[in-house]
Amino acid sequence: MSSDYEFSDDEEYNEYDDYDDEEPMDVEDGSASSEEVDIGMDEVDDDDIKVGSEGKKTYEVDYAPLTHQQVKDLMVTDIEYISTIFGVDSYVAALLLRHLDWNKDRLTEKYMDNASSISIAAGVSPVPKPSYPVSDRSKRVTRSSKSSKRLGQSSSSEPFLCPICFDDTTTDTLALSCGHTFCTACWTIYTVSKIRDEGEHRILCMAENCGVVALDPFVYKVLSEDEDAAARYDELLVRNYVACNKNLKYCPFPSCDRSVSCPAASSRSALFTIVPTVSCGADPKHKFCFGCSIDGDHRPVLCAIAKMWLKKCRDDSETANWIKSNTKECSKCQSTIEKNGGCNHMTCKKCKYEFCWVCMGPWAEHGTAWYSCNRYDDQSGVEARDAQSRSRASLERYLHYYNRWANHEQSAKLSVELYMKTEKKMEEMQLTTDLTWIEVQFMKKAVDVVENCRTTLKWTYAMAYYLQNGNQKAMFEDNQRDLERAVEDLSELLEQPIESECIPVLRQKVTDKSVYVQKRNEILLEDTAKGYIEERWKWNDVVVDTL
Amino acid sequence: MDARLRRVNKEIADCKNDQSSNINIELIDNSPFHLRGSFEGPQDTPYHGGHFEVDIVIPDSYPFQPVKMKFITKVYHPNVSSASGAICLDILKDAWSPVLTLKSTLISLQSLLCSPEPNDPQDAEVAKHFMTSRTSFEDTARYWTHVYAGGPAPSIGLGSTGKIGGALRDEVAIAGLERAHVDQFEAIGFERNKVIDVLRRLNYRGANVAKITDDKVVEELLKA
Repeated sequence: MSSDYEFSDDEEYNEYDDYDDEEPMDVEDGSASSEEVDIGMDEVDDDDIKVGSEGKKTYEVDYAPLTHQQVKDLMVTDIEYISTIFGVDSYVAALLLRHLDWNKDRLTEKYMDNASSISIAAGVSPVPKPSYPVSDRSKRVTRSSKSSKRLGQSSSSEPFLCPICFDDTTTDTLALSCGHTFCTACWTIYTVSKIRDEGEHRILCMAENCGVVALDPFVYKVLSEDEDAAARYDELLVRNYVACNKNLKYCPFPSCDRSVSCPAASSRSALFTIVPTVSCGADPKHKFCFGCSIDGDHRPVLCAIAKMWLKKCRDDSETANWIKSNTKECSKCQSTIEKNGGCNHMTCKKCKYEFCWVCMGPWAEHGTAWYSCNRYDDQSGVEARDAQSRSRASLERYLHYYNRWANHEQSAKLSVELYMKTEKKMEEMQLTTDLTWIEVQFMKKAVDVVENCRTTLKWTYAMAYYLQNGNQKAMFEDNQRDLERAVEDLSELLEQPIESECIPVLRQKVTDKSVYVQKRNEILLEDTAKGYIEERWKWNDVVVDTL
Repeated sequence: MDARLRRVNKEIADCKNDQSSNINIELIDNSPFHLRGSFEGPQDTPYHGGHFEVDIVIPDSYPFQPVKMKFITKVYHPNVSSASGAICLDILKDAWSPVLTLKSTLISLQSLLCSPEPNDPQDAEVAKHFMTSRTSFEDTARYWTHVYAGGPAPSIGLGSTGKIGGALRDEVAIAGLERAHVDQFEAIGFERNKVIDVLRRLNYRGANVAKITDDKVVEELLKA
């Protein structure tokens, strides 16, 4: 009775959730003065949730979020298929499929070729040993206990001694198709240890060199007391299936058990034209790239270039570059020295060596006129200076892009803070005006838009760093500038103190601006995505060499 | 009684009762989970006549996880670290099965001494030696068996010190050392015999050379 009640309560709650997601715009429809704005907001909303219904944009990929159960259903379909054509038990079919990494075609081919050898390799059937009966192995192992065992066997009614725990009181035993018998308690400890400690879903027979693998019902049977381990086994099987299937990927967020199917991004070559950002649907934050392991959305930059950029940012090479362009080493004690004064007469702080900053020779040779260092070979001096200024220019270029990249990343993080502020504002607005909670949702939407677009902006700087100078890059940077300006405007608007009388104006402004920002973001993403397909983007030599 | 304790006790008892295999297991302290196993070097190998001791640690999840074993006695063998005694053997890792016992594992170690696997080495230096010059490798292994495992004295022993150049080189090579290293410390003024003895004891070979300072060697030489 009570469970029934709870169930219906749950459903109501879900409906209410749906209402939250979809309805606010409808309410706005009634109260907003400008229809255009509302249409715009509707689009924003669609985008936030998933692929718009009116047709896919170039920068989006087709994908389908799958729940744990849905993946299991896919697994069952594959298993049933093999089970039907081979005429074997479905659990056997599952073992065969797992053995060949769920490659149905290869399995069919191999099975038709030599069914028994593939069955042995997959651990379905034991290695045939006509001359040695199955019991041989356990006999050999317990040979040491020969005397006591013989005694026990002849004198008492207990015929079985578990060769693992040496318990001769248990009658509860199990064996796989190979016939190696062990007590059920040992089987349970063994299976739990395999699943828990090793994350292994292939439960081999415990006998030495025996390749027989336990079928699922056997595993569930020995785990009947341990629901956690059984659930973990279940998850390991699904994870194995997802890992073997190129079209599937597990959601990388901790303790999320959903997967995403994205056949469009399954090949490596596809990743040179698309950036497959997907979401498992469990939470709007569970957004990730199907093509690589970078967290979150790295559009508009391709996986390979995003990875290259992150590596560059992480590398110490840039620090070294800075040191190279800004410092020299004391020619006596090799300490790194940065020149902070005008005079070229340097004295090393550490070893007190006096030298000339220009030629690095000892100062004593210069006498009073430092010009004497012009006696060094002119050509080599010019080359050295050139090398240094080139290095410095490339460092400055990198820092230009890196600073902006890092700034947007930082701002995107701060948007969490901004969101908290906004929430406070929204509460304030509810108290001071007759607006309802739903009507002030426009603030939250705007914060989401800002965060989203800052992520895009961040990555545009990584992209610009690697783009070759030219018209295409100039156009890209125009789009980038427009988006950046719009985002900053909206950001500023959101941070403004709220006066109750100007709330309708602010609401109007923020909503307008959000739509505009969203549009700019779309334009930029659309243009870059098209550029990939048209192979319009020209990369720097660094990228060309690496890709 | 705890299943692990029952099993280990029984394994120890079985080993005591079984005289035919020549495998011994004894307690190191009071815990039955830290043991010392020992066996004789197999016949027709450079290890023949030696007595080899193995440190055995039984993990909590035994017998479902493999037992931890390493040689206490220094062994010159491609699959045994000459410095730490760590063993590279599949049944001590992924090929472990719960039906394997301490005794059967020690028997496997014994047979590992018969059939080295230089392609899957634990000690790269020794494996290289094994691959390049089998006779010289066996001389060193025999010498180590004599010095560390109480085996019979090899035919070219330490007794024949400094007679002719050839004999000298052999002596250095057999100890598994480099001539240049021995010469270096002999040049300081120590007796050649002592130098060989100390360097051998310090395992002054391969990557170890960089780890052991000259001062340390001299200190040991002065003590010797």
